[in-house]
Amino acid sequence: MKETRLGEFEEVILLLAGILGEEAYAFKIADEFESQTGRAVSIGAVHSTLERLEGKGFLKSEMGKSTAERGGRRKRIFTLTAFGKKVLKESRDFKMSLWQQYPAFATDKLNIA
Amino acid sequence: MATIPCLCHRQTEHCLIVKSNQPIPPKLAGRLLTSFLRDDLLEEVLGDLEEKFQETAKTKSLFRAKINYWYQAFNYLRPFAWRKSKAHPLNQYDMIQTYFKIGWRSLVKQKMYSAIKVGGFAIGITACLLISLYIKDEMSYDLHYPDSDRIYRVLGVITEEGDIKRGVAFPAPMGPALKEDFPEVEKSGRFNGSELFGAGSNEVRPGGEVENSYDEGFTYFDQELMDMLQFKFIHGNAARAMDQPHSIVITQRKAEKYFPNENPVGKTLIINNDEGKPYTIGGVIENFKTTSHIQFDFLISTKGLEFWQGEQKNWGASNYATYILVHPGTNISALEQKISDGIIDKYFLPMMTQSGMSVADVKTYFKEKNAHLELQPLNKIHLFSSDIQEDSNRGDIRFIWIFGGIALFILLIAIINFINLSTAKSANRAKEVGLRKVVGSFRSNIINQFLIESILYSVLSFGVGIILARVLLPYFNLLSAKSLSFPWQEWWLFPIIMGAAVLIGILAGLYPSFYLSSFQPIQVLKGDVSRGSKSSPLRSGLVIFQFTTSIVLIIGTFVIYKQMDFILNRKIGFEKDQVVMIQGANTLGNQMNTFKNELLTVPHVEAVSVSDYLPIKGTKRNQNQFWNEGDNHNQDNAVAGQFWLVDYDYIKTMGMKIADGRDFKSDMTTDSTAMIINQTMAKELGGNVIGKRITNGGDRLWVIIGVVEDFHFESMREHIGSLCFVLGKDASIISVKVSSTNMSDFIASMAEVLKKFAPNQPIRFAFMDESYAAMYADVQRMGNIFTSFAVFAIIVACLGLFALSAFMVEQRSKEISIRLVLGAPFRSIFNLLTLDFLKLVLIAIIISVPIAWYTMQKWLQDFTYRIEISWDVFVIAGMMAIIIAILTISYQSIKAALMNPVNSLKNE
Repeated sequence: MKETRLGEFEEVILLLAGILGEEAYAFKIADEFESQTGRAVSIGAVHSTLERLEGKGFLKSEMGKSTAERGGRRKRIFTLTAFGKKVLKESRDFKMSLWQQYPAFATDKLNIA
Repeated sequence: MATIPCLCHRQTEHCLIVKSNQPIPPKLAGRLLTSFLRDDLLEEVLGDLEEKFQETAKTKSLFRAKINYWYQAFNYLRPFAWRKSKAHPLNQYDMIQTYFKIGWRSLVKQKMYSAIKVGGFAIGITACLLISLYIKDEMSYDLHYPDSDRIYRVLGVITEEGDIKRGVAFPAPMGPALKEDFPEVEKSGRFNGSELFGAGSNEVRPGGEVENSYDEGFTYFDQELMDMLQFKFIHGNAARAMDQPHSIVITQRKAEKYFPNENPVGKTLIINNDEGKPYTIGGVIENFKTTSHIQFDFLISTKGLEFWQGEQKNWGASNYATYILVHPGTNISALEQKISDGIIDKYFLPMMTQSGMSVADVKTYFKEKNAHLELQPLNKIHLFSSDIQEDSNRGDIRFIWIFGGIALFILLIAIINFINLSTAKSANRAKEVGLRKVVGSFRSNIINQFLIESILYSVLSFGVGIILARVLLPYFNLLSAKSLSFPWQEWWLFPIIMGAAVLIGILAGLYPSFYLSSFQPIQVLKGDVSRGSKSSPLRSGLVIFQFTTSIVLIIGTFVIYKQMDFILNRKIGFEKDQVVMIQGANTLGNQMNTFKNELLTVPHVEAVSVSDYLPIKGTKRNQNQFWNEGDNHNQDNAVAGQFWLVDYDYIKTMGMKIADGRDFKSDMTTDSTAMIINQTMAKELGGNVIGKRITNGGDRLWVIIGVVEDFHFESMREHIGSLCFVLGKDASIISVKVSSTNMSDFIASMAEVLKKFAPNQPIRFAFMDESYAAMYADVQRMGNIFTSFAVFAIIVACLGLFALSAFMVEQRSKEISIRLVLGAPFRSIFNLLTLDFLKLVLIAIIISVPIAWYTMQKWLQDFTYRIEISWDVFVIAGMMAIIIAILTISYQSIKAALMNPVNSLKNE
């Protein structure tokens, strides 16, 4: 088994950053997280996670454009690194392999509470 | 929509602000973010939050948006986002370690000054600790009763000639009536502690034994009051301990005394040899806590008890302290009003109209006196009842304030010493500060350093102070008549002490550290180190403050002692010296007269009198109302006075003087209806009283045959009231006037006489002058406490003065040496060094006199009979302060004047 060092929340944030592409900055990611999961999250929490992911080398960032609704301030756009993509993929593959070993899945009697 | 260039420092092309009518996020939250966010994060975060804000404002509401902005801002309080402080170097730990090291070194280097700083501090802390323990104990009264917040004592309040008088005694049916008539009252209970009915002290023995012992703490007590206070039972059933007539509940310590190692429930106690009426023990309760406002040992059930026919239904005699337990959530002030109106109208009014007054008269009478009932919360009884006669032994909230104030002032004096010495000695540290600054220290580092140093001193002083307080605690307990102990096992003690040590350290170190850290390196290193050596106005002001406080305490002590002396040595109208009171004589019964005659044959006995009514506290009292013969028995024309049962020899034994008429004579049989009254009563009855006949409302008439000179029979806090003597029997105290001064021999011979009559009863006696002095134990106590703390304050202030003078001498040693070389005489050097300080002490005297005068005048107002504060008190206190100050300074001054000038000049 390979250690991905990726928490559940971290994984979601990483995926969302990938999905949002050019628009991946803290507020948008937090917004997207809320609308996709229905769970409330503060921008600060997301931001802190993004910093951590960047520290681990899964993300890189640079300052982007400013817009009017931001009071003319620039945003920091996060983009997935190659390493980040690899880790995401490994995480997915690892889970897929686990799912395939799960016998109930084959007989279609999936009963997860 | 127009764009304008941004005014922010960046001035980049991105940086455009859009002017529009968009809502603005909360500015304060923005400022909060700016205050802690890392600089590189600031722009993006503010941007993100604003975007969120605008979106919320659009989709939801502006209010929600603002709230959310705050929420988001607070959510950035995360370590990753914090700005790293620049002022803190990376090796903080090492730095702090060096602060301690340097602090310790400078402490050790200046042994005398450090000792004075720490010693003074420690004394101040000791005073604070002791007084905190005292205050904590005083404040904790009655809180241990489980429902203490719902229990109230009923008070009767009337206003007489402008004085508000509060009393606790109520008629017997009051308690039951409160519960019956008012649904808010869950329980009501009473106790009767009046000596008149046999409460107080008695001779007691277990049933089946013969030897009596004397015991105190008897009371008549309701089962319901016991339920209310929820006493802890060791033996017996709490709910049924007192529901039988003639049952009694005793405390654990008395159970151990009379029934060691057994369960006494069901056994009997015989009180005052009354074999026919044994009391069955219904239960044993835990001893009353010292912080309970009631202290009893024998609780006799009131079940089925009537002191006379119809007593339990009688609204005319007030002997019961009454308590109620209210339902949770009751509005107390409303209930007070309701009870006042209800009880007065329904019960007191009919009672008074029965004695001949019209309803309207009674109503105006009550209205004039503003008579009403109050409910006093249980935990207020101890500290807020000093005006109630039955409560005169209790604490007083004013003393709490006074003692707290004194402790604080002593601590302040100690802190001032610290500040004075630290700034005075600053020259020694100036170079260090200069050098630290030169090698790149921030001012905040130096402030930290000195604060840590002063915390070091403070913690050290707390250590010494705690040890000192522990050592002094037994003496303080004696002084304050308490049994305080350190709550070592409480979890909060250590954190509180540590917190206090740090806080006081910071407080004391604040000014010195700012002062010391303000030195300019260039000046200091150039050699201009004279800063701090001159006597600064601040330092002088602080010395004045120290001495003002000390002198006020000295004056206070003097005044208290003078008042005490006045009370003890004043002509009080009777002779309290050389009177022995033999107690417990009621067991003699019919043999009383023979015993009395036998006593008179003992050498040195001058007179013997048998009466329980004595002019000292703790003996019987009986307040009655009197009317001239033929008058209507109204409240208006009644004379209220004490009704004392005495015997033929009473006036002789007490050394009282007959002012008019004659004393009782044993050969005149008509004297059984004779009465002697005091001068106050004579005045109230309208003068010219000899031969007049008066009544106390019953069938009997008494003829006034004499007037006795007024004597003090209550505390000097009150006026002498009306009082009358009639002949009576059945007493338990025999007063013996003696001419001998060899009391121990005399007591022995009296004991022998008693043994003939009551072989099973050890003699129990007291000296009247001692019992009299005990009435003023609280004044004495106050005086002693004041003296101790005045001494504390003076010691601390003198320590400071001593150190300051030492420092002055050190600073001016070259000047003094040159003066000496040029031929200055000893006296001029001495004056030079002493006068500066004496000036400060003189100013302190001038300031303290009015403060002390005002405060002590207030204190004396408690006493109806009091001294006038005369000028000599101030002169003596002032002289004392000056002498103490001169003595303190002169050691250093003389040393300086006698030194060899070569020693200080040779170094130049």
